Amino acid sequence: MPAKHHRRVAIDVPPALPADEAARIAYDHDQGLTSHHFTPGEHPIVRIEHLNKSFDDTLVLKDVNLNVWPGEVVVVLGPSGSGKSTMLRCINLLERPSAGHILIEDEEITNKSTAEVNRLRRDVGMVFQQFNLFPHLTAKENVMIGQTKVLKKSKEEAEAEALKQLAAVGLADRADFKPTQLSGGQQQRVAIARAVAMHPNVLLFDEPTSALDPELVRGVLDVMRDLAENSGMTMIVVTHEMGFARDVADRVVFMEDGYVVEQGLPEKVFDHPENARTAEFLGSIN
Amino acid sequence: MQHRRGALLVALALALTGVFATAAPQPAQALTTEKATARPNEDGGDGVIGGMDTRLTWEGTVEPGEEVTSVTLTLPEGATFDGSTTRITALEGLTRMDVTGEAVPSGSSITVNFDQAIPEGSLLRLEITNMQFPAEGGECVVSGTYESAGATHGLADSAPIATIANTPLQSLVNWLDEQPWVEAWNSNQFLGMFLKPQLLVTSFSSLAPGWLLCLGIVVAAYPFAIALGLLFAMLKISKWRILRAIAVVYINVLRGTPLFLQIYIMFFGLPMLNINIDNNLLGIIVMAINSSAYLAEIFRAGIQSIPQGQYEAASSLGMNYVQTMFSIILPQTVRRVIPTVTSDFITAFKDTSLLSSVGVMELMMFSKNLTTVTGNITPYVAAGIFYLIVTLPLIKVVGIVEENIARSERGGGPRPKRRADVADNADELVEKSVEKDVEKDAPSAPAAQIKEAANAC
Amino acid sequence: MSSMTRRNFFATIGAAGALALAGCNGSGQPAESTDDTQTTDEASYTLVKEGVLTNVAELGFAPFEYIDDEGTTVGFDVDLSNAIAEKMGLTCEWLPNQAFDTLVPTIKQGGKADISIAGMTISDERLEQVDFSDPYLNSNQGIVAAAGSDLNSESLNAEGMQVACQTGTTGDEWISENLPNATKVPLADVTAALMGISTGLYNAMVIDLPVAQNMIAESFSDLEVVEEIPTGEQYGIAVSKDNPGLLAAINDALAAIEEDGTMDEIKQKWFGTTEI
Repeated sequence: MPAKHHRRVAIDVPPALPADEAARIAYDHDQGLTSHHFTPGEHPIVRIEHLNKSFDDTLVLKDVNLNVWPGEVVVVLGPSGSGKSTMLRCINLLERPSAGHILIEDEEITNKSTAEVNRLRRDVGMVFQQFNLFPHLTAKENVMIGQTKVLKKSKEEAEAEALKQLAAVGLADRADFKPTQLSGGQQQRVAIARAVAMHPNVLLFDEPTSALDPELVRGVLDVMRDLAENSGMTMIVVTHEMGFARDVADRVVFMEDGYVVEQGLPEKVFDHPENARTAEFLGSIN
Repeated sequence: MQHRRGALLVALALALTGVFATAAPQPAQALTTEKATARPNEDGGDGVIGGMDTRLTWEGTVEPGEEVTSVTLTLPEGATFDGSTTRITALEGLTRMDVTGEAVPSGSSITVNFDQAIPEGSLLRLEITNMQFPAEGGECVVSGTYESAGATHGLADSAPIATIANTPLQSLVNWLDEQPWVEAWNSNQFLGMFLKPQLLVTSFSSLAPGWLLCLGIVVAAYPFAIALGLLFAMLKISKWRILRAIAVVYINVLRGTPLFLQIYIMFFGLPMLNINIDNNLLGIIVMAINSSAYLAEIFRAGIQSIPQGQYEAASSLGMNYVQTMFSIILPQTVRRVIPTVTSDFITAFKDTSLLSSVGVMELMMFSKNLTTVTGNITPYVAAGIFYLIVTLPLIKVVGIVEENIARSERGGGPRPKRRADVADNADELVEKSVEKDVEKDAPSAPAAQIKEAANAC
Repeated sequence: MSSMTRRNFFATIGAAGALALAGCNGSGQPAESTDDTQTTDEASYTLVKEGVLTNVAELGFAPFEYIDDEGTTVGFDVDLSNAIAEKMGLTCEWLPNQAFDTLVPTIKQGGKADISIAGMTISDERLEQVDFSDPYLNSNQGIVAAAGSDLNSESLNAEGMQVACQTGTTGDEWISENLPNATKVPLADVTAALMGISTGLYNAMVIDLPVAQNMIAESFSDLEVVEEIPTGEQYGIAVSKDNPGLLAAINDALAAIEEDGTMDEIKQKWFGTTEI
């Protein structure tokens, strides 16, 4: 695994972690459940505690606990309907949790007002399965609009940043194309550029390649791999791409029926799954 | 009998003027000139054109103690009474008397001899149809003489009648009148009633202001209709129940009642509340309000047709509701609703015709007036052509925009996944049906359903 | 005579629209004389519908023809046309309400109605399009305005004055010729025009005097006839120029009605006097 530049959260005097949590983090580390090089006093960038989410009477997330550390790339695996997308959408409050806590950079987000939620979302980017590019805007404008409207950057600044990010995803020459003139893979790369241009602290990927024709998947994965290895961005990726998970993930989380069933380093989860369902699922995919 | 007194004063004044003008003593007038007017004969206008048939109406009062047996009216040189017919009416108060007589035209004079003398106190009216004023136009004074008790007296001059020389348009009409092909054309009852060339010509010129007013009203109303429509569309999708209720009531009441009723309420209701607004402005307001209800529904449907993913993408960038609406949702909505909005514009444009029922001088009002004067349907046909001048290009525009949207939606957006064979088949079906659609240029419902199914997979 | 109050005005309008074929209270007598038995030279005439004299009129012209509270077409002209039809051995029917300015074209074109008896003044212009029966009633015009307003034909002849009329009526023409400075507002029905004056939308209206007096007495107490215009015009029954036999037959019937006192009866019923 290539060396990673872990971003440190600059907190000199850390607020005291609950004793049991500190103990659990230490335990996780000892057990090889996390790739993170635990530093005393460092806080997870995303902390999910006892997260429950129900739609009507159906409980889709059941007491989910997950810590994501700065710079970590976490891949969430699991069968359809296991709740992985819902968990992801809870992190930027596209879904409101039914119970539990989500802390981003130690800030509780589940009790926030609409205005505060909008502010928090600047720091949590998202890439969607269906790309959700704005069809009335060109690729460049898609990347610019968040910067100008939300970050209040000047048009020139935003445009420079947009061109830089489009170049980073290999689409410098498509800057003035409308989404309908781009292939699915190109659209998804624009969507990634759009999210990255906001310089979020965390980037969420919700099955980014599932809507793509097979021959277009690779280009998108390459962009994500590059992002993971060279930008130090904290990424949470829900995907079915096992190869990507194995190669790029710092940690793999396996979800089943609303629970986090198993997690750990990719080698451990892929090669020595402890849970029978994990083994079965990985078997069926491979 | 206020006006009679007034008229008498006028007559007196005229008589006095006469006295001072001639500065000579005159016998008391036994027949006092009350008025002389001419029927406007400008096709589609209100001018009295010389050299063309029209009707002169002359009124005089027989003074007490007198009887009138004959009246001669004289117009300036160039006028002619030849070929005219005269209708004689004598009234005592409001009661009509049986009076007959014979009119003898003679160049610019006409003499009417009564079979029985017109008794004292009568109002005498002579309506002389198919006479002509001098071709060069100008102020025409009716003078003349009358016979009373065997003696001839001079009549007081009437107030001048303003006449004009022939207009180029009228010359064209007169020229058409003389063409044999026009006569042959008009002898066909249908063509003569619906497409009379002379009337088409005059209609086009005289309907133009009405047409411009129609356009003006709807063009002025539409920006307000769009703004109001947008407002109520937003209210209707608001999360506040009370705002939704307001929007639902507004939209449903306006869409659920005839525009005719709304016009009546506005035109008769507002003045009752002592709110007096210019008719044309009122027309603009009614049209704006009426259209806004339809536009609100169009916008609401348009907004709700934007996929949820667009909202989520905007939210994930940290945009608030207003930013999302104005930067992301509405710009897309606009493109989608252009065809429907244009159709509504066409409807609104045609609906301005209803404003004629309350006296707004729009296209139908002008054509109605012309039809009334002529007893011919051609002005309505001309009005129809005026409407088409606006609506046909717009209908074409709608077609082009719809085609563009269909094309971009066909080519754009995420392609369906090809995970299952079913989806694959559906996809192929969609593509085939889309191709077919292009050929026959009509969407087929089953294909659309399949497309939806495929996208849902 | 049933009154037409403001309250039921809308109901009346509605009835006018909804009414399909308003049959008159047709004469109970069976038609004794058929076309065959008529022996005069002008006996041959055509009817739109066998045995029926079909009328067309604008049915908002009280007291001449209007629709009463029960939805029946009634009025002076209605009684008169019933009497005429009776004399001719026919029954009479009324077509649904039609705008006044369409009546002459309708009769001219033929095929829909045989006659129009609609308080229509015999005028030279109309005579170019259709034939008229002998005059059956004399009439005048009146200017209606808000009660107490100082308006008259002089003050109304000014820029900015809105003077309403019923489209195609004598009043319409009178405004064009006598109030050239005012804005003429031709409307489809009398009630709309009077409502407009009542609410302040228009300044005045020029309309046949009997109609003005009737409407003011029945429904518009806030209006008055501010000026009577003696025109001495005469109402006639419009008949197609292609149907001279019918015209002759109607003139014969009219003469008979005048002679046997029926006309006076009808006048008495509707105007309370025979001196009109």
